[in-house]
This record gives sequence, structure tokens and C-alpha cells, in this order.
Amino acid sequence: MALVNWFKRRLVVISGLLTLGYLLLPNVVVTVFSFNQPKGRFNYEWQEFSTAAWTDPCGVADLCGSLSLSLQLAASATLGATVLGTMIAFALVRYRFRARGAVNSLIFLPMAMPEVVMAASLLTLFLNLGAQLGFWTILIAHIMFCLSFVVVAVKARVMSMDPRLEEAARDLYAGPVQTFVRVTLPIAAPGIAAGALLAFALSFDDFIITNFNAGSAVTFPMFVWGSAQRGTPVQINVIGTAMFLVAVLFVVAGMVVTNRRKKQKA
Amino acid sequence: MTSKKSTENGSGDVRLSGIGKTYGSFTAVHPLDLTVPEGSFFALLGASGCGKTTTLRMIAGLEEPSCGTVSLGDQDVTNLPPYKRPVNTVFQSYALFPHLDIFENVAFGLRRRGIKGVKKQVEEMLELVQLGEQARKKPHQLSGGQQQRVAVARALINHPKVLLLDEPLGALDLKLRRQMQLELKRIQTEVGITFIHVTHDQEEAMTMADTVAVMNAGRVEQLGSPADLYENPHTTFVANFLGTSNLIEAEVDSVSGEEIVLKAGDVKLVLPEARCGAPTRTGGKILVGVRPEKITLTHADDAGEIPAGRNRITGTVAATSFIGVSTQYVIDSSVCPEFEVYVQNIDRDTRLVPGAEVVLHWNPAHTFGLDAAQSLLAGTAGSAGVEEEAAV
Amino acid sequence: MSTLAEAEAPPPLAPAPAVPTAKPPRKRGRWTPYLLLAPGLVWLLVFFAMPMVYQASTSVQTGSLEDGYRVTWHFATYWDALSEYYPQFLRSVLYAGSATVLCLLLGYPLAYLIAFRAGRWRNLILILVIAPFFTSFLIRTLAWKTILSDGGPVVGALDSLHVLDVTSWLGLTAGDRVLATPLAVVCGLTYNFLPFMILPLYTSLERIDGRLHEAAGDLYAKPFTTFRKVTFPLSMPGVVSGTLLTFIPASGDYVNAELLGSTNTAMIGNVIQSQFLRILDYPTAAALSFILMAAILVMVTVYIRKSGTEDLV
Repeated sequence: MALVNWFKRRLVVISGLLTLGYLLLPNVVVTVFSFNQPKGRFNYEWQEFSTAAWTDPCGVADLCGSLSLSLQLAASATLGATVLGTMIAFALVRYRFRARGAVNSLIFLPMAMPEVVMAASLLTLFLNLGAQLGFWTILIAHIMFCLSFVVVAVKARVMSMDPRLEEAARDLYAGPVQTFVRVTLPIAAPGIAAGALLAFALSFDDFIITNFNAGSAVTFPMFVWGSAQRGTPVQINVIGTAMFLVAVLFVVAGMVVTNRRKKQKA
Repeated sequence: MTSKKSTENGSGDVRLSGIGKTYGSFTAVHPLDLTVPEGSFFALLGASGCGKTTTLRMIAGLEEPSCGTVSLGDQDVTNLPPYKRPVNTVFQSYALFPHLDIFENVAFGLRRRGIKGVKKQVEEMLELVQLGEQARKKPHQLSGGQQQRVAVARALINHPKVLLLDEPLGALDLKLRRQMQLELKRIQTEVGITFIHVTHDQEEAMTMADTVAVMNAGRVEQLGSPADLYENPHTTFVANFLGTSNLIEAEVDSVSGEEIVLKAGDVKLVLPEARCGAPTRTGGKILVGVRPEKITLTHADDAGEIPAGRNRITGTVAATSFIGVSTQYVIDSSVCPEFEVYVQNIDRDTRLVPGAEVVLHWNPAHTFGLDAAQSLLAGTAGSAGVEEEAAV
Repeated sequence: MSTLAEAEAPPPLAPAPAVPTAKPPRKRGRWTPYLLLAPGLVWLLVFFAMPMVYQASTSVQTGSLEDGYRVTWHFATYWDALSEYYPQFLRSVLYAGSATVLCLLLGYPLAYLIAFRAGRWRNLILILVIAPFFTSFLIRTLAWKTILSDGGPVVGALDSLHVLDVTSWLGLTAGDRVLATPLAVVCGLTYNFLPFMILPLYTSLERIDGRLHEAAGDLYAKPFTTFRKVTFPLSMPGVVSGTLLTFIPASGDYVNAELLGSTNTAMIGNVIQSQFLRILDYPTAAALSFILMAAILVMVTVYIRKSGTEDLV
């Protein structure tokens, strides 16, 4: 009976942690299997321990090329989507204009559309226009679907900004450009950074839309997809694990820095 | 443009000519003319939504007037953007830049004008507002009072021709507010810059300002020194918004020389002609006013001791409340249902309890007359457009 | 201060340029919003809205790859596509729906844990929820092939507990296999979109004032009643956006069905993908994609109306 009570009181915690385990289990598998030495072409069964893949991450043809293409695409798409999205967010929060509802739905719809629909219709457009599929068509697509997410992230931040701060800057002899550079931008920065980070992650990890519009270009997710058919090299797991670790390290480092600053101030 | 030159007459005055602001069909400020003399401490007083902040923002350049002009001295600044006007503002919520420390907040205006070597100036300014120690802190690490002083320092360091203060003390608690009122008054006297102060707190306006303009519904109701406004209100709004007034509707009985004799029910009241702002003709209506502290309260048993020549009204005590320095009585009388009387607590008459019969009497010279064509209740706490009396 | 004011003459302010007073007041920034909006909106119009129009037009064209396609208002394509692929449509709705329900059931306790019980572990758990994003979702989905592999520990355990007998009887699994069955696909979908459920749930739970729980307790509500009457209703915005963010992408997904399923578990995304990229029957692919889009929009609109959170977006 005591056991049942103990269990009842911790039901939320236990089930929450089980879900967390469910979420992290594949990452554990990916990490463990990055040290595997598979016998066949596929890396699905444990054979023996090896660090071969870690010492030679680019040892598979086209793998690192696809990775660098994905990084380039993600960086360019992030830049494009962040600039365009930030402009829209400012216009939405700060100005009155006609057809506001239409603008809002045009921004919301890409987020409420299954990727495969956007992918297929964009391909239809490119085919009709006779566009050469490749880097540029992927970039166009990535900017398109990242844009709305940037708008949402930046809008939230700009909405919570006190418009009096900009008035104060203008009152203190800052012209429009200086006001934007010295006050508006620094204060909106966290929102813009969040939007940019989201855009980078979405673009880097996108498969469906890219797959439709890539032509002969191969991004990292497309490489993984192809290898699922041809054979999965261990290096895929190495790169997956490394990305996970880099992301966690970045976030933890960021938290440590903010914590220190807070402590210094206090 | 130097401080010496601007002391010549009128060259530093703020002049608003026919300035007004409309938003669509709503008129926030009716076209008004106003001159704020150089070096004065000027207050715009009114309830929220009366147009006082809009007027201030038009002087700052943050709001474009729909009509009229703003001049500083002999320079028309109507079309100048805020960053080209020699005017600085202390904002209601202070609007300190959260991403900059205190030093950089104060140095902001100097740096924007390309002034080099701001360190000494900023440090002196921070000393003036007693925040020298806090220079490297961020705004959110400071208390409300400290933030307020930073906002003042940030504006003053630019030596503006005019300093605009938009409800600068609204966010502070009562005690701190009193302290900052005196502090601001001291700084203004020292630097000699024109201060234009917007507030809804009548006590604050009267404590600090040389001249007060009372605004109501987008118009200036009356302008004058605090004492003048208090003693000689021209409208019921001013009479009720500044302090408390007892207003009685009366009929002109006769006009003889410098005195007007009025009749309210069976009571006769005397009003000096000079203190009546309304047209007087026999049989016409007039609102008679008297401030609660001008009235003496005498128990009906002692009515015989009241000297002759005073205005008298009889009534019964309806309620009393003891508030330390004085006792406030509400008297029920035939001419006015809730007559307020403040009596200094020197010798308290223990007979003055609810239900007691009393006689109210005052010197006729303390009576003022208003046009009866206005609402008796304009400017009282309960009437529309007047917010809660700001926790005073 | 008086010394400060007088000793240092005020720095010269920008002398006022002679502004002609007759000039009408400038209307500052009248065109600014349109200039700010234009580039992004043009982008969305050209690369999001216009493709939809092209797709609509393609769906009513007839012809062949060799001879080219022409608009012939051939609406029969829609009917043919529906009658041929309705099982895949049904499967998509069923799988995506089950995954959404599972995400809600699994995600709510974790979101609740992070919002109210995690204390100083809150940020760490949040990081652990988000960090897997950075390992490509395809790699992580492939990991499920290992986890659910035939004869592996997970399948072995399920088998010895006779769970597989039940699921086989229900048609969710086949024999002693989990891979290549509906269960694997739903499991993969649930896994992939779980963070999209947890994050909005957490955001709306975190906004709830903890004192509301105390107030409910003070007013004689037992813990579960408090949850049912106070916490859950207040977290509705998170539930709505979480379910949308899970259901919409899951219904169009073809990665999980392809990697973890078999031809018997193909969803509509698989069909659209192969029609477009392998069979090159563009009118049918466009019609299918259009039907999917219309179905999603109708469902989303009805759902948002029903749940009474129209100000969600």
C-alpha cells in the first residue's frame, strides 16, 4: 500500500521521465553505434567496438561534401529568412497598414501546410518555369518555409518592447538610423537570434522539400536517405553524435555565461 | 544660442500658437495658445486623457500637431524631428535603455551629438543625482527612485532649453515621491532650465510649479500661480479638481457697490464682486463656492457668539472623520446636502458628533462666484474623465 | 550644478535649418510598412502562393510527358486519384491521428514536469528535449530500425509479455515482427513530432500562476480535480497548437512510413512522392496534394473553431 502511494505521488515525474527516455533513446543508439564495426553494408546490428569511423569521418564518398552543402544552404537560408522575416515582424508590430489579415494568413499558411504539399507545388512551379533544379532552388524553398518561423519569433520579442525606448533615443539626438542601430536592434536581438537559430535548424534538417527540389544536388539529409537504401556508413552516426554534442555544449556554455553574469551583478 | 543670450527677454520662451491634435474624429487637444516663460517651472495638470501628455509630446516632437506651431524662443521647431530639437524628456516609465549601463544611458545624448570625452561630464552629472557608485550597473538593478534620477540625469546632461517631464513620479511610492518633488525643484532652481511637468496629481503640481495650467477635455481651463488657481477658480472643474470646494446654487438678490447679496433658500450670502467670474443680474443664478478650511464650525448652542457680517448656514453634523492634523466634518444643510468642513485640531469641540446642530460661518471675502451654467460636479473624483486621486 | 551649467557653455545643438513654415507637416514613414513587408511577402507570394495556383492548374491538365500537358479541366483526375488512393488517405489520417493522441498522452506529463516539478533541472530537461533536433531526424529515425529490430531486446520483451499477440490480433503488428508494421510507423511518427507537442504545452503551462493551484486546493479541489478544472483548461492553447503542430506534418510525412514501414503501411505522402518523383504522373500527384491540402485546411479550421482558440494565430 505504501508502495502504491509512493508511486501515485510520483506518477507525473515517473511518466515524464519515461517520455524523456523515449525521446533520448535513439540518440543513445546513434552514439553507441558510432563505435560499431558492422559486417555488412548496414549499421543496424552491434558487432564489435571500433573508433575507426571517428578517426576518419569523411572516409565515405560524398558524405562531407553533402554536409558542407547543407551547412552552406542553412547559413544562406538563415541569413535570407532572418532579414526578410525581421522586416515583416517590425512592419506587423509597429505600423498600421491595409490588408493586415491577408498578410497574417499568408504568413501563417506555410506553417499549417504539410511539407509534401509545399514541396510538390514548388516543384510544379519550377518545372513550369523551366528552372534548373539545384542549390538555388533549394535555397529559395528553404527561405520560403523558414520565413514564417522567423516572423513569429521576432514578432514576440518586438511586441514586448517598449516603444518609448525608441522615442527616448530620438529625443536624445539619435536620428532614425542611429535609433535603429543603437537601441532597436540590440533590444530585439534575442528574438532575432532565436528566429535565426530556428531557421538554421529547420533548413539544415529539412528533407522532404529539399528532396523534391534538389535536382542532382545532395544535401546531408538526402545523403542519409540515400544510404538507408544503399547501406548506412558508421560515419553518419559520428556526424549525428557530434552535432548533438556541439549543440548541447553551446547551450550549456551559454547558460554558464549568463549565470555568471547574473551572479556578478547580484 | 548661449545661456547668456537666452536670458534676454522672451528669447527662450516656449510658445505654442494654435496648436491642436486630432486623431480621426477625436480631438485630443483643442487648438490652444500657451507661453511658458524661460526658466519657469510650468505644470500641465489634468486627469488622464485630458490632452496634457499629447501637448507635451508635441513640444518634444514625438507627436505631429494637426495644426498650429511650436516655437522655442524665436525659432519655429514645428517641423523639426525630435532629435534636432534642443528639448529633452523624462519619460513616464523612464524608458532607460535596458541593454546599456547607467553611464552609457546618461552619455547617450552626448555621444549621439558626436561629443568626445564625455567621461567627466557624465560623472559630474551622476554625482549631482547621487548615483556615482552605480555607473556600471544596468537599469533593472536599480530601485524605482534611482531609475528616476538616471532618467533626469540622462536628459539634463544635454543642457536642453526645455526639460519635459511626463508624470515622472507616477511610479514611486508616496514618501519617495515627496522627496523627489523637492529634489526636482532644487535641481530646477540650480540649473535654471525651463521645466514643463505633466501630472495628474494636483498636490504635486502645486508643490513644484510656479505656474500651473489646468487642462480638461483637450482645453486649458485656467492658468495661473498655484495660490491664484486655488483661491480664485474660474470654473467648477478647477474648483473641484484642485482641492475640494463646497458649491451652492444661489440667486442674485441685489448688487450694491462691491458686494453681491445672494439668496439660497432662506439663507443670505455675501460675495465680493471682484471674486465673481460670472455675469450678475438680479434674479440670475450663480454658483457660490467656499473652501472647507475657510469655514468655522460652531455648535448651535453658541450661535450667539458668532460675530456679525459673516456668511452663515445652519445644519446638522452627518459624519466626522479624524485625520490627525484636522477633523473633517460632513454637514447636512438645507442649501447643500454634503457640506465639507475641515477644522484644525487645536481645541476640539466634543459636542460636534453626528446629529449635532451646528452653524457654519465664514468671512464673505473667502467666497467665490462661478457661472451657474456648468455642472456642479465637474472635476470631482466621481465624475467622468477624472481618475482616482492618485493615492494621495 | 550651477557651475556645470555656466562654466561649460551648452554644446552647440544642431542649429535649426531654416524650415519654411509654410511647408505642410511631413507624414513620416507612410510607406515604411509596405517597404518592410514587400520583399518577404513577394517571396511568399511567388514561392508559396503561386505554386499552389500552378498545382491547381496542373491537377486539371491532361497529356503526357512526351507531348506536354494542357489544361482540359479534367476533374476526373480527382475522382480517379481518390478512388485509387483512399486507403492511403485513410491511413494517413489514422496514423497521424494516433501519433497525435500518443504525443499528447506522452508529452503532457513531461511538459508538466518541466513546468512545475523540475526545479533547478528545468533548463537541463528543456535542453534534452530540444538537443536531439540537431542530430538529423533521418539518422534518429534509422536508429529505430535498430531498436525495433527482429529478435532485438525490445521485440523480445514484448513477445515474452505476449503484447505482440494482442497487437497482431489487432492488426498492428505481424507475427513476431514490429518493423514494417503500422505500430513501427506510428511509433516513429510519435517520436519525431513529440517535441512539437511538448514545447507549446510547456509554454502555456509555464504561464499558469502557481498560486492558482493553491487557490483551487484552498477551495476544496483534490489534486486531480485541480488538474481537470484549472490546469488543463488553462493549457488549452498549448494543447491546440501542439496537436496542430503534430498532426499537420505527420499527415503529410512519408519518411517514417518508408523507413520503418512496408508497402502495406504507405501513407499519402509516399504516394505523392512516388507519383511526382518516380512515376512522373504530375496531374495525379497535383490532385492528391491538393486534396491533402484542402482536407488539412478544413480540419484545422473546424478544429480551431471548435476549441474556441481563434486568437491562436
